[in-house]
Amino acid sequence: MQIASVYIRGKSHLMFGLCILFTAVILGLLGMVSGYLISLGYKSVDLALFTQLPVPAGAAGFPGGLQNGIVGSIIMIAMASLIGIPIGMLAGIYLAEYSSRSWLAGPVRFIADVQTGVPSIVVGILGYELLVVPLGSYNGWAGAAALAFIMIPLVARTTEEMLLLVPRGYREASVALGATKARTILRVVVPAAFGSVITGIMLAIARVAGETAPLLFTALGSRFLESNPSRPFPSLTVQIYHAAMEPYKEESRKAWAGILVLLALIFVLNVTVRLTMRASGYGARAAR
Amino acid sequence: MSVVSGTLQSPMQSPPLPGDGGRLPRGGASIVQQGGAESRADLLFALLARGAAIFILIMLGALVLVLTTAAMPSITAFKAHFLASSSWRPNEREVVMRDAKGNIMRDADGEEVTVTLPPEFGALPVIYGTVVSSIIALFVAVPLSIGASLFIVRIGPRIGLLLGPISFLIEFLAAIPSIAYGIWGLFVLAPFLQDHLEPALNAVAGKVFFLRMFHSDQGLTGRDMLCAGLILAVMILPIITSLGRDVLRAVPRVQIEGSLALGATWWQSCQVMLRYGRTGLFGAIMLGLARAAGETMAVAMVIGNANRISSSLFAPAQTMSSLLANEFAEASSNIQRSALVEVALILLVMSLLFNVIARYMIVGRSARPAV
Repeated sequence: MQIASVYIRGKSHLMFGLCILFTAVILGLLGMVSGYLISLGYKSVDLALFTQLPVPAGAAGFPGGLQNGIVGSIIMIAMASLIGIPIGMLAGIYLAEYSSRSWLAGPVRFIADVQTGVPSIVVGILGYELLVVPLGSYNGWAGAAALAFIMIPLVARTTEEMLLLVPRGYREASVALGATKARTILRVVVPAAFGSVITGIMLAIARVAGETAPLLFTALGSRFLESNPSRPFPSLTVQIYHAAMEPYKEESRKAWAGILVLLALIFVLNVTVRLTMRASGYGARAAR
Repeated sequence: MSVVSGTLQSPMQSPPLPGDGGRLPRGGASIVQQGGAESRADLLFALLARGAAIFILIMLGALVLVLTTAAMPSITAFKAHFLASSSWRPNEREVVMRDAKGNIMRDADGEEVTVTLPPEFGALPVIYGTVVSSIIALFVAVPLSIGASLFIVRIGPRIGLLLGPISFLIEFLAAIPSIAYGIWGLFVLAPFLQDHLEPALNAVAGKVFFLRMFHSDQGLTGRDMLCAGLILAVMILPIITSLGRDVLRAVPRVQIEGSLALGATWWQSCQVMLRYGRTGLFGAIMLGLARAAGETMAVAMVIGNANRISSSLFAPAQTMSSLLANEFAEASSNIQRSALVEVALILLVMSLLFNVIARYMIVGRSARPAV
């Protein structure tokens, strides 16, 4: 009896220790990954990264910078946002405001959630079949469309959640004053949730900013500063990928510096989201 | 409410609320008339919103439909054999014919008789690669992340202010893009495995039969199945941890207090929690598995890209997604491209299956997208 009790207690202490250890291991891994990426990136980042085009090995000025990739990513993300945010927000508005008696809401919600789990490379293949094959060449439109595909379900679900946090009294007051439903939504409900809807959009942008796989066979990439989306289009992430796979040390440094830029962007977006969520008091539900 | 003051029409003209009987009272709707332009705009907006929601359904439908259509040539050419074959031969190849005794056959002029083998594709090695690398990832990540979610829920409150930053850090780990993990794996993890871990294991494991998978007679490169599995483990840790935390947090306090009142130790009360939340935890693990199976860039950078099945974890391999990343843009023929799309279709169906199961498991949780 005595031995059994000692065993059970000892096991409990052991497991308690293991839980602490496992958490420490995860935090240690985070520290190792981000610490390494930041320190290497910090050593490699310079002004040329933002102002120069990439230069092939052997040519003067090798390895150059990532300017075209940075600009290309910004353009493609902007195009994806122009397509993805309105559609996603409208779908979110439908789920939150119009769907209370509709059979449609359940399936749409479920499919949107499932879609966030679709491997992004598969989305790239859809972009290839629908926009690259018919247009005859790799192009920026296809890349933007693939990114929009990833954004829409994310934006829809976060918009829905944020709109549902707006108190019902706002809607009732607006309707009591004679506003139509559309006006109530556009002038009262969405403005009331504006801050948190924007943060949801920022999270979606942070997500697609790091996407590489869906761009590989849609936008493909380009050595030049491209402004015509009908041609192969450069992006930061694809350029980082190619630079990392090159055998040259200089190319590796470029990849590290590029990753630092990307991580900084994503970190800033995430921290801003956290802080605004907390400030606006939606933290308990929204800041996951 | 100054916001809506501009929208007032005549006092008597308040149109009814279309489509939302459940949310707002409809009293007074019978005494008002329908407005003209305003009402049409209202209807238009409702239709637009509905259209956008339906568009989400269409998107998934299009994905499945387009991939199936594009994979058709490969499906009709290779049929079920595609799933069982491990040959990946994008180009035609001439081979020398041999007779029953294994001698090279020659024709009357003494020339070697050859046959031309058509291109052939089989997905077995990449399915194997995806399965094995995901299993390694789960094997490493599940204990760590369940332990960490227990820590956050059971021990967390005791450390007060520290808990917020710890939770945030773990979630930030989920926001780091795949390619950043790939770079870390390529420049840090792979060299470490190559120089330290694998030689050490190699020396020991080669002598014991059932540890053969930790042994390789080939040169160690560090870019292999083990490296891919470990990178995937790091990537799914934050997902399982944060979902697991939500599941454990939803366990009623009565469960824990009841078990403690019956004299349970700390760990025994944790076991009660784990048992209570087992469905949700299983869902969290499924979502982690779905992410691991579909992950592309990080894996493509560290797995070594060899399209074959090897019993050793120290040998380069290939997953479905890394095969697509490496070959799709350079595919030389339509049949090769079609075969690659079929691989993508298998990947899609697999991850949809995992996601659907997981969502049903975590049902009831007001689930925001996991990633």
